[in-house]
Amino acid sequence: MIDKQLAEFLESGLPMYLGTRNGRLEPNGVRITAVRIEPDGTRLVAYIPTSVADSVLPDLQDNGHAAIVLGRPTDHRTVQIKGQFLGIVDDADADRDLVLAQWENMLRSFEQIGLPREPTAAWTMWPCIAVRLRVTGLFSQTPGPGAGAALS
Amino acid sequence: MSIALESLTSCFQGLIPALFCTCSSDGIPNVAMLSQVEYVDPTHVALSFQFFNKSRRNVAENPNALVRLIDPDTAQGWLLRLRYERSETTGPLFDRMALRIEAIASYSGLKGIFKLLAADIYEVISVEPAREEVGVPAIRQRAAAADPVFTMKALQDLSQRIHGADSLERLLDSILAGLEESFGFNHSMILVPSDIPGVLVTIATRGYPESGVGAEIRVGEGEGIIGMVAEARKPIRIAGLLREMLYATIVRERAQQAGLCAAHARIPLPGLAQPESQLGVPLLVRGELVGVLCIESETPYRFHEEDKATIELLGSYLAIAIQNMQLQEAAAAASEPEPIAAPQPKPASAAKQRDVVYYAADECILVDGEYLIRSLPAKILWKLLTSRAQGRAEFTNRELRLDKSLNLPEWKDNLESRLLLLRRRLDQKCPDIRIVPRARGRFALELGCEVQLRMQ
Repeated sequence: MIDKQLAEFLESGLPMYLGTRNGRLEPNGVRITAVRIEPDGTRLVAYIPTSVADSVLPDLQDNGHAAIVLGRPTDHRTVQIKGQFLGIVDDADADRDLVLAQWENMLRSFEQIGLPREPTAAWTMWPCIAVRLRVTGLFSQTPGPGAGAALS
Repeated sequence: MSIALESLTSCFQGLIPALFCTCSSDGIPNVAMLSQVEYVDPTHVALSFQFFNKSRRNVAENPNALVRLIDPDTAQGWLLRLRYERSETTGPLFDRMALRIEAIASYSGLKGIFKLLAADIYEVISVEPAREEVGVPAIRQRAAAADPVFTMKALQDLSQRIHGADSLERLLDSILAGLEESFGFNHSMILVPSDIPGVLVTIATRGYPESGVGAEIRVGEGEGIIGMVAEARKPIRIAGLLREMLYATIVRERAQQAGLCAAHARIPLPGLAQPESQLGVPLLVRGELVGVLCIESETPYRFHEEDKATIELLGSYLAIAIQNMQLQEAAAAASEPEPIAAPQPKPASAAKQRDVVYYAADECILVDGEYLIRSLPAKILWKLLTSRAQGRAEFTNRELRLDKSLNLPEWKDNLESRLLLLRRRLDQKCPDIRIVPRARGRFALELGCEVQLRMQ
């Protein structure tokens, strides 16, 4: 579902958030550190900072629904991925370099729009818990006419 | 709510995009980036409704929502749990939010396309700090300790400068110099209404490589915040212009792809090449627009929330000072009793010749093929040059006022502002044609070159 070009964009190191909801249909959401698109493009792994995993993990384990939004600050190209929780991935530490490389690129993109990295030094974006999601929908959220349209 | 919403005012500047999480009635979460979150009162915020239709459908079905904000001073993230209450499409709150969006839109020729559809009002159920986006204490302390921009001392200094100015020219220069030296605003400009309805003209600038005096801005027709400030007669502050411009640019590209706007309408930014913060203030006296003050900075979020009320107050003070000076100069010039002698003009240097062409239909003057000025200042210059060719060298404001060919309004003609503008344009573009003040209401036209006059 996610082709190679889109996967490159999504893995390029973007600001990204994971949204869930609880049994009372109240939304929850956390900033996540990175995503990795699996080779067939139908599944992805999202890296949730351990410090806030308890905000969304119970929702994922309860009902499985997830949404991830990723946007590039320099041009506002934005994509939302809808997904279904498949499970926790063992040994997220093995992907540490990949995750931190994406995070480093995210900080650079902030710098490109004039936001220095110094204030974000205390953000706790690692270690992470990795969760695997099945991709159920892809939407463009780039601002402007057509925002919200499904990506084929 | 344990954390007061008022304490998060820095977060509402839109410097870092906010996140908006909703959920449909069948339980599918949705996450979208937000253009604006606006403080309404201690228990309510308003979110801008522009494009995110899925979020809007969700809150219509299920009013629970979550917004995440980041404080640009401390990098602390905040979670606001919300409940949708209502939408407003008119009123002061809507106007305030729409004005900011329209100001950005106007830079990209997107007015009418990039616009606010509604201000959605939410009750704030709770405010919690985001645990992963933890603020840096050192940054927080530095931000807390930062001096406010508008201090009493700086205001006193500016006031003294204003009181010391004895002409409109000195007053305008004193204001801009005071803003730089007392407040640290290095880039500023003042525009006044021109004699063309709906057009503002730049009369004084400071801190730019080119003075820009004479540059015109059409009120409310898509030329950045200055035109918007003049149209709405309200201050506009933009905290992170680069990010907002990037946002407008992508909307523009999408609008072009959808055939909603033409490709050639983008209007370049005035002033700084890459301003990050802009503050435009209308200079109003009893509802009359005397001018617009625009301050720019290359620093994001240069003008904090607490500065806003002060700059509005300062704007009123400056407006009264400028209008008083205009009226005072006009009154002094009108009482000028002496008849004008016709001294022989000094012979101009033959070293250089200027070709001055007046285009009567357009009321516009070109010097050596380059645009100099138009409208009333152009008519005045043409009269001065043709009179000088007949032997006149000195003039009074009074005779200009009485000259029917200039067609000045009987009340508030702003002649002194027009003469100042003309003098500054000549200084900038052809300094060998000079308007030199002789006394209040009296001036000479001096030529350091031969002038060839042509009318077309």
